[in-house]
Amino acid sequence: MILDLILPRRSKYYVAAFALLGTLFSLAPLVVQWVNYTNPIYAFEDSFVVDKFSIIFKGLFILITYLTFLLSINFIESDKYYQGEYYYLLLSSLLGALIVSSSRDLLTIFIGIELASTPMFLLSGWKKGDRKSNEGAIKFFLLGVLSASLILYGFSLLYGLTGKIVFSEISSLIINGALQSSPVLLLSSILVISGLGFKISIVPFHSWAPDTYEGAPLPVTAYLSVSSKATGFVALIILLTTVFSSAGESWGIILAIISGLTMTLGNLVALQQSNPVRLLAYSSIAQAGFILAPLAVAGITGNFQDGIFASVTYLIIYAFMNLGAFLSVQLFSNHAGSSNFYEWGGIAKKSPITGVLTTIFFFSLAGIPPLGGWFAKFVVFRSMLSTGEPIGLTLGIVGAVNAVIALVYYARISKVIWMDELKDVNSETSFQFESPLKVVGVFTVLITFISGIFPGIFSYLGEVSSIFFGN
Amino acid sequence: MEILTNGVGLSAVVFFPLVSALVITLIPKGQEFLIKGFALVSSIITFVFSVLLLLNFDFSSADQLQLGNKISWIKSINANYEIGIDGISLPLLILSTFITVLAIIYSIEHLPEPKSPKGFLALILVLETGMNGTFVALDLILFFVFFEIVLLPMYFMIGIWGDRTVRTVAGLKNQIETRLYASIKFFVFTLFGSAFMLLGFLGLYYRGNKTFSIPELIELGTTGAFTGTFATLVFAVLFLGFAVKVPMWPLHTWLPDAHTAAPTVGSVLLAAILLKLGSYGFVRIAIPILPEQAKAWAPAIAILSAIGIIYGSLACLAQTDLKRLIAFSSVGHMGFVMLGIASLTPIGINAAMIGMVAHGVITGLLFFLSGSMAHTYHTRDMGRLGGNMKLLPKTGALLGFTAMASLGLPGLAGFWGEFMALLGAYNPLEGLNVTVFRTSMVAGAVGTVLTAGYLLWMLQRVNLGEPSEEWIDKELHDADGYELAAWIPLVILTILIGVFPKLIFGATNDAVIAMLSKAFGG
Repeated sequence: MILDLILPRRSKYYVAAFALLGTLFSLAPLVVQWVNYTNPIYAFEDSFVVDKFSIIFKGLFILITYLTFLLSINFIESDKYYQGEYYYLLLSSLLGALIVSSSRDLLTIFIGIELASTPMFLLSGWKKGDRKSNEGAIKFFLLGVLSASLILYGFSLLYGLTGKIVFSEISSLIINGALQSSPVLLLSSILVISGLGFKISIVPFHSWAPDTYEGAPLPVTAYLSVSSKATGFVALIILLTTVFSSAGESWGIILAIISGLTMTLGNLVALQQSNPVRLLAYSSIAQAGFILAPLAVAGITGNFQDGIFASVTYLIIYAFMNLGAFLSVQLFSNHAGSSNFYEWGGIAKKSPITGVLTTIFFFSLAGIPPLGGWFAKFVVFRSMLSTGEPIGLTLGIVGAVNAVIALVYYARISKVIWMDELKDVNSETSFQFESPLKVVGVFTVLITFISGIFPGIFSYLGEVSSIFFGN
Repeated sequence: MEILTNGVGLSAVVFFPLVSALVITLIPKGQEFLIKGFALVSSIITFVFSVLLLLNFDFSSADQLQLGNKISWIKSINANYEIGIDGISLPLLILSTFITVLAIIYSIEHLPEPKSPKGFLALILVLETGMNGTFVALDLILFFVFFEIVLLPMYFMIGIWGDRTVRTVAGLKNQIETRLYASIKFFVFTLFGSAFMLLGFLGLYYRGNKTFSIPELIELGTTGAFTGTFATLVFAVLFLGFAVKVPMWPLHTWLPDAHTAAPTVGSVLLAAILLKLGSYGFVRIAIPILPEQAKAWAPAIAILSAIGIIYGSLACLAQTDLKRLIAFSSVGHMGFVMLGIASLTPIGINAAMIGMVAHGVITGLLFFLSGSMAHTYHTRDMGRLGGNMKLLPKTGALLGFTAMASLGLPGLAGFWGEFMALLGAYNPLEGLNVTVFRTSMVAGAVGTVLTAGYLLWMLQRVNLGEPSEEWIDKELHDADGYELAAWIPLVILTILIGVFPKLIFGATNDAVIAMLSKAFGG
């Protein structure tokens, strides 16, 4: 069954259709696993596991990749790039993400993380002739390598401390050997957080994101901001709640500070952006702050279930609404031929459907009910306040202020496309809305609405995943 | 009928407009007649539903929550779809469905620029879902969701169909169109309040056995589950959330901008219903769940209300813009509502309830009239208007009548809310600082005089006198059939409530007394 998941990578047909079918079919074994699920299945001496947490995230990664393919079809064809390699690289990255969600030892998780991010170095530089693309790719690559070395260094400290690589053995050794307060453990956790901090682009490891996002082809950017980020978070969740769980109070405070800074900085800088992709880059930095906050609180209180529940629910809802937001940016910037959204004045009149979609996704990101984003924000606030600790309360206030700041720039896009005068440049050409993109639009908008009106379905996924890490 | 009493009917009142809005978006743009007709019919059906609920409402137990239902909604956080109405929410619900019908009637012939009835009417219906939902929700999360749903439609209504005058705003380098500035200001202010309100809800949830149910939280609150710093903080954030919406001085600054910029129908709905969401929140949530805190905060609320009354009236005296004057008068009138609530007595809160309905009817009508006049004259500058009685006799007469109602003429709806609020403030709940309340009462009484002053002054400038030469040769259209159809019901309602205040008190009184005796004993 697990081999089935790997199948798409082995397909060497290099055609979009096959990649699409492959990813879609690889969902099938997941469904079977979910339905027949009884107990976690361990393989390779406990270093690889199939539990509901991993099934949920595999499903999420595969869906994201599928939607990214749909976003890519016309984009890649129109520019006559190397199609085969493109799909191959994305699928490799998907495989890495799939491995991460199941990995339960240091080596496997490292291989997964790297397999997920290495192809992205190439993909982000895909537009060869474009200087911005090159600049972004180089930055991404250099910082990516640095982050890999940080993670590796953290792991090696851990190995030196315990001599084990499987998470369950490491954590039992730490508890039995009373190593909870060992400075090595703390140092190792800080290194790992820093390393993964690059992947999930939290302050102060976020500086690559806006440049790379801007330079990369849009579908790749969408994938980066959703799937790569989710991969980083999955790795972080797994590591923090297993091997580092006993040092929670120390890293909890660090994460709490980082999370507050990430939200605030991301939002404040996003206010200044005129390029929609850069705006989404900073917005996704701010969103990462929100996803991080429950983990921070969980570390301090030791109530991991609650924290994971909130983070996972947020991640799932965020993934789809953010993909949708990228879809609408892709549609409008193609049409307007401009990467300054202030020049999109009145463009929604050309295609009201796209206008409505854009509005839905951006207000969902802002967290306005009844769109999915509100529930994501809500569960995060809920976990912040779960214990009444001052630090959670402070985070709650910071988060509330940030939610308001974020609204200003999310609303600005809607303002421009609906309320400003239609520019002449935009009024001549007819609007292009290709059918693969329509599929993405319909799918993401449905999820955005369903997760907002019947959040129970999504919080169920979050709840289920949290069970596997309940101390 | 069963479906009216088991919650289905109540849900229909909430969601039927939303479904209709979705259907409207599917009708092709060209079919304007179909779009308008469908919107009108569906708003009437919603209104009929609410009247049927009224007929099934058991007034002998108006203090009980009725016609509701409770089903599981978000299991993992124990949020339920819990709805129901009692004597406090019933009048507001009917008001909301009724005003929406009138708003749509008015919009049939008087769409603001840029026309596009499809989007405009769909937004009104979505707005109605949010408003109705807020009045029936009995679960904090459900309440929050509906409370926020109104933001998006109103934002777009102001932003797209609003006033296009370019103006300078302090602190901004470039000039900006009024609608753009006002729409985002409205959104940011309200969201700021409600983001903190949500934190407060979560606080109640964790201290209150992890429930979001308002009736359960009221039980807990009256048995003293919420005390100390915690309760103070929670009340503070709830206050912030509701006071922005009311709006209370000094959080009111979004209101004049939003009202002035909004299209006529937008102003009407904003004044008539949206402001009530805030004061309703105080009566439904903040006071019964946190009675001790309400008592501690009451003097502060009374002082702020008194300042609001005086400030609103003085600001009115300084206005040259007709619509802005009415907007500031809302600040004053809502000050009376909040003063009544702050007294924490049956008479005060009943005053607030009738004040809310009366303000909805009267100020709604004032915005209709001023919007229509602005459309006819292409200006709202009172310096240029004048002799309206001669130019537009029907509109002028109605404006005169409504201004009288607004200044609290006995026999009309506005009188009861002001008079009884002052009465409530004279004799507040035992244990409250009488000096503060009596001072507020005096301030409020001065406010009534000022209110009369600015409204009469407005009438003198707009209605009376000789028309300036500017208008004499122009063809000016007086109110047409659609306008009268939207306005006359409000006039009738103003008189009815004025003569038979029992229409409102009959529903609210028992519920208010029950709520207060539960919260403060005796």
